[in-house]
Amino acid sequence: MSKPLSLLASFALSVSAQTAERVEFFEKNIRPLLATKCQMCHNAKAKTSGLDMSTGDAFMAGGASGSLVNIDTPEQSLILRVLAYDGALKMPPTGKLKDDEIRKVREWIQMGAPWPGAEPRTANAAAKPSGTRKHGSAFTDSEWKFWAFQPVAKPVAAKSIDAYLREALAAKNLKPAARADKATLLRRVTFDLHGLPPTEKQLAEFLADSSKDAYAKVVERLLASPRYGEKWGRHWLDVARYADSTGNDEDHRYPYAWRYRDYVIDAFNHDLPFNQFVREQVAGDLMPAAPGEPVNRRGIIATGFLTLGAKAVAQQDKKKMLLDVYDEQIDVLSKTFLGVTLACARCHDHKFDPLTQKDYYGMMGMFASTKQFRDTEPNVAMLLFTPLVSKAEYEKYEAAQSVVANKGIDIGIVIDRERQAAQEKWLERLGEYMLAARAVRPKKNYDKTLGLNERVIEKWVAHFRETEVPRPWLDAFHKGDNDAAAIAKLQESAKENLAAWAKKMSAFRVRERKQLAEKNMLYEMPKLIDEKDGFFRDVFADAGPFGIASKAIDDFASEAGKKELAALRAEQKKLKDELPPEPDMACGIEESTPFNAKVFVRGDYNALGEDAPKTFPLVVAGKDRPIITQGGGRRELADWLASDTNPLTARVIVNRVWSWHFGEGIVRTPDNFGRMGERPTHPELLDALASQFVRNGWSIKKLHRQILLSDAYQMSSAPSAEAAKADPENRLFSRFPRRRLLVEEMRDGMLAISGKIDMTMGGTMQTGFGTDSESSNSRMSISPEEQTRRSVYLPLRRSNLPALLNLFDFGDATTANGKRIATNVAPQALFLMNSKFVAEQAEAVAKDAAGLPLKDRAERLYLKILNRSARPAEIDNAMSYTAAFQKQFPKMQEPSAWQSLARILFASNEFIYVD
Amino acid sequence: MSINNDPIREIFTRRVQPVSRRGMLRHAACGLSTIGLANVLAQSSPLSLKNPHYAPRAKRVIFLFMHGGPSSIDTFDPKERLVRDHGKPLPIKRPLAFADQEAGPLMKSPWAFKNGGQSGIPVSDLFPHVREMVDELCVIRSLVGDGVDHGGAMLQMFTGSSTFVRPSMGAWTVYGLGTENQDLPGYITIKPTLSHGGAKNYGSAFLPGAYQGTPIGHGGMKVEEIKNEPIQYLLNKGLTPEQQRFELDMIQNINRKHQELRTVDPNLEARIQAFELAFRMQTQAPEIFAVDNESDATKKLYGIDDPTTEDFGWQCLLARRLCEKGVRFVQCTHPVKWDQHVDLFAKHTSNAAEVDKPIAGLLKDLKSRGLLKDTLVIWAGEFGRTPVSESGNGRDHNPYGYTVWMAGGGVKPGFVYGSTDEIGYHAEENRMHIHDWHATILHLLGLQHDKLTFNYSGRDFRLTDVAGVVHEKIFV
Repeated sequence: MSKPLSLLASFALSVSAQTAERVEFFEKNIRPLLATKCQMCHNAKAKTSGLDMSTGDAFMAGGASGSLVNIDTPEQSLILRVLAYDGALKMPPTGKLKDDEIRKVREWIQMGAPWPGAEPRTANAAAKPSGTRKHGSAFTDSEWKFWAFQPVAKPVAAKSIDAYLREALAAKNLKPAARADKATLLRRVTFDLHGLPPTEKQLAEFLADSSKDAYAKVVERLLASPRYGEKWGRHWLDVARYADSTGNDEDHRYPYAWRYRDYVIDAFNHDLPFNQFVREQVAGDLMPAAPGEPVNRRGIIATGFLTLGAKAVAQQDKKKMLLDVYDEQIDVLSKTFLGVTLACARCHDHKFDPLTQKDYYGMMGMFASTKQFRDTEPNVAMLLFTPLVSKAEYEKYEAAQSVVANKGIDIGIVIDRERQAAQEKWLERLGEYMLAARAVRPKKNYDKTLGLNERVIEKWVAHFRETEVPRPWLDAFHKGDNDAAAIAKLQESAKENLAAWAKKMSAFRVRERKQLAEKNMLYEMPKLIDEKDGFFRDVFADAGPFGIASKAIDDFASEAGKKELAALRAEQKKLKDELPPEPDMACGIEESTPFNAKVFVRGDYNALGEDAPKTFPLVVAGKDRPIITQGGGRRELADWLASDTNPLTARVIVNRVWSWHFGEGIVRTPDNFGRMGERPTHPELLDALASQFVRNGWSIKKLHRQILLSDAYQMSSAPSAEAAKADPENRLFSRFPRRRLLVEEMRDGMLAISGKIDMTMGGTMQTGFGTDSESSNSRMSISPEEQTRRSVYLPLRRSNLPALLNLFDFGDATTANGKRIATNVAPQALFLMNSKFVAEQAEAVAKDAAGLPLKDRAERLYLKILNRSARPAEIDNAMSYTAAFQKQFPKMQEPSAWQSLARILFASNEFIYVD
Repeated sequence: MSINNDPIREIFTRRVQPVSRRGMLRHAACGLSTIGLANVLAQSSPLSLKNPHYAPRAKRVIFLFMHGGPSSIDTFDPKERLVRDHGKPLPIKRPLAFADQEAGPLMKSPWAFKNGGQSGIPVSDLFPHVREMVDELCVIRSLVGDGVDHGGAMLQMFTGSSTFVRPSMGAWTVYGLGTENQDLPGYITIKPTLSHGGAKNYGSAFLPGAYQGTPIGHGGMKVEEIKNEPIQYLLNKGLTPEQQRFELDMIQNINRKHQELRTVDPNLEARIQAFELAFRMQTQAPEIFAVDNESDATKKLYGIDDPTTEDFGWQCLLARRLCEKGVRFVQCTHPVKWDQHVDLFAKHTSNAAEVDKPIAGLLKDLKSRGLLKDTLVIWAGEFGRTPVSESGNGRDHNPYGYTVWMAGGGVKPGFVYGSTDEIGYHAEENRMHIHDWHATILHLLGLQHDKLTFNYSGRDFRLTDVAGVVHEKIFV
């Protein structure tokens, strides 16, 4: 107990002893220093990093990194460490203070940091706890008891979905809507499960089938088709914020992202148990391979879930780049599986939910224990691609590649040598070349007997012609009053530079070999453009008078050199031809050295707080949550997420599935089950569905059946007058909600109706690696309007998503998106009225109907596009329209009139909305 | 007369008016009051006018974005010390993000500065035409950002966040104010960049899609290509306007029938109205984009007669035309050309030559048309450049203290605000972080930055995140 006592004692002393002398010391030495060096950022207004140094009280209060002054042991005061420039945080940023100034600050701190006019200080000397929760880290009772964190309640008695819904309706004296008619129901369930309209044949069969289980048979047919995985896989890809490039700054391609997409589609088609699906996406790479397989191929591909997010690969602060990647993964993982926004706790404890910074960093440690990039050192960090073959096989491939690359270095070295030799020779005769070129302009000729290289002279002539860029180094030569001296000066420094350049290149080649051996990577060559001597840079650059591009080396190399090069090239070609094909790769994640995180105070990695051992969020995992001390912890995380007792995982996915069927979830904020999210409208139903789901082996298809076969799903979208009034938002599911087609459904639907759709599954349409030049069209995503494959297979460049997708509320593929919005804006109408795409589909449908008698054509169009029979009045209307169209516009022939009608139906509300 | 007897006549008598009387009556019959319907429609059009928080000083924005990062100390922030200490080592420590690179020596500006106008604000010889208009400018020499790379810096300049995808300033503006011309998008970006975040820089992120910028071409396209179809899907290549109206009447006829068979659903009505709006838009737009119809004198003013200035001149003139028609937020982009790590002299010279005259022309034209007083013109790059040289003749990125300027729209004309240190590396006086700058711009538009929020993912988001100080000293 002696320490706090002595602290108090010294404190009392410092307060009482604020003598004139000390005040003067402050006014003379410290205040001016603070004013000129600190307060420009740390003032009451700017408060950079939460720190205000403009008053004594504010100064003592400290900032985001904690208190500045440690009264107990002044030597350990944060401000002194920062001023000493000995940690990661160095202040002021404009340069270290003079030693004398730092000494003065230390002296002042040791005095107890007297500041005239400041309130006597309380002992806020110790670092503040890292979190920002009002009540420290203890959760309140109501936080512990928040509904979402409670175990899933098992239903007391077996009760159907409809029973739950009817009870809630009955409580408001409401009845569910009537049953939808058959055609409506077929269109609804077909778009729902396949993202496509029913064909005429399917419609006819269903209408003709009067058996009791006609609808159930349709559901089974739809669930068994691979079209189902393409639609429902896409729902999952929304949550997994799937795209085929990094977005953000450089938008580098993820060349193997498609394997993850195909994995997702396959998982839905084969009804992979959802808990297994979760495990694989979080830690598939750590799960054992199937017997007989060298690696867990599927598991590795599945980790694409973690890696395919937006990344700023050109961020120069590579530490921050990595931390942003971990943050993105925490964000998407916590929203997707748990429905919580854990990423909100990066800089401070969560403002609304009982999630602490320690929870965040406890999970961050798991991601920091992985390898996320092949190499973070280069200017633009290199993405990690993971092989899907055994390590030995991949190493064999890498080794073979490395032999080819080494041969490339051999060639490079010969080119360097030959180039240098030619350049040295020319440089010897620099004066002759320059004078000859100068002579060409006024006189059109020069002394041809000198034996100078014609091409080089031409380039010199061109070089002298350029005047846009000032070249002060040529001034003396252009003046022409002392050529010999001017040339000698240029020649001398160019010789020095050329020799230095040769050294630089040979050093680079050595480094290059080393890189290749260590990382199997090649680095960029030094560039002449980076050279400081303007004359040298201009003249020896590839395009310059003495420049030789590597491609052109044979024109200037010695005979021996040419032979040597030819031989090396032949060897390289042979090696290349013999290269084994590139093994299958994925954009996955790899385990690395386990990392023990500390809390970053205010999210600033320079301000380390308390230890944050690897674990799961306290409020979800409970007080007996395990602390992971061995390994990276991802395996444990996966198992915990996928466990039958996790209160959130099953609830969240069951709610998502419900929401994708009904347009709204039982919890209407499917990505946020926290306090700022909505509460469940039918909590018992949610829990019943969740517990049955787990009992059914986490089978998504069983869940579909349960929902689709309910009366609720088969209701009409027309509310009763009472329900429209009492339940305007349809929170009680008193009718089936009308919904707009998703953009994929609209596009794929049109293509299916026109017959142009290409049903090829899987694979990639993306070509190339890396990124493209800044204004290049290849930065755009492939246009969906020029393709006929299903939308889910079109690659997405995250920075420039297809305009059509943006237009129809696709979302932005940057965070988990469990619920798309549906806007109604004019540019959407322009697409339907004016686009070539819609015109083409309309033309094809009209053409298909053209062989029919006039009176049957409208019926065909209605059946195909609106998936129902036309009413007599509609047939009359259609025939009158097409006739009037031709009469009114004599230039328009019959096909145009029917194309117009087909477009009208595509553009109609009835097509775009599903009842 | 029944539909069956004369369908065509029926089509034409049922032509949709914006909130038709007939529709009103019908909805009234369904138990929804007229006012109720008007509300439904107002809510369903995200672009309709909204009340600002304060009386706005600026009604609209033209943002002239110089992609790549023009050097402040070579344009609007002269530094005597650099002339004096040219070639000497950097007297201060490099900022952390650049600490592992060796700093080159201090490099003076290769351009002379001259005082312009009555205000005498110095502008370098890179911008002789803008210098003539300097009495209109409010030059802010103390902007500070967090992003040291193009990607992060641009995202922050446009969205407030250098790391996350957030709605852009234009999207927030239209979200807050709506737009005056319901027949055009509220936020238009001309030749936007495809790189460094691409469309995210003008996206609406979690705000409804109606607020995202509508692109006119993109950075890689030539003006000639854009002229063919400035806004995607604007032109119908198969039908005449009359034929299209005929077709649209049939769409609406079918939609009305469809609607009659269903209980009231505001979405159905909204979509019917969206088609009418689209038709009006495509009728109006070609006229607006017909920049070629301007007088020769005007074209000359913007430099459209000269190949060097033609592209940016076209952008600036189109921006003025859009503003005249009530578009709320227009952006012009000078493509990623300003990133002079090497060859500062040659490249900054040619870059400035492409934009100087068009910008001055725009300011003059806005002024003479009386538009400048309530149009906020912004000139900015994503950061400035270092006072030390890179590779001997270039400069590196500098987000720690750089210059942007604004004109019109309620900012003090002929005014210099803030300063950098002696060498132009760090902002010193009146530091204005990008959050502050955003707060200030929103304020000029009549919006209080901490009240302009959108609830998403359980939290109220705003353009200025949790920061933002309005710098009122620059207001008239």
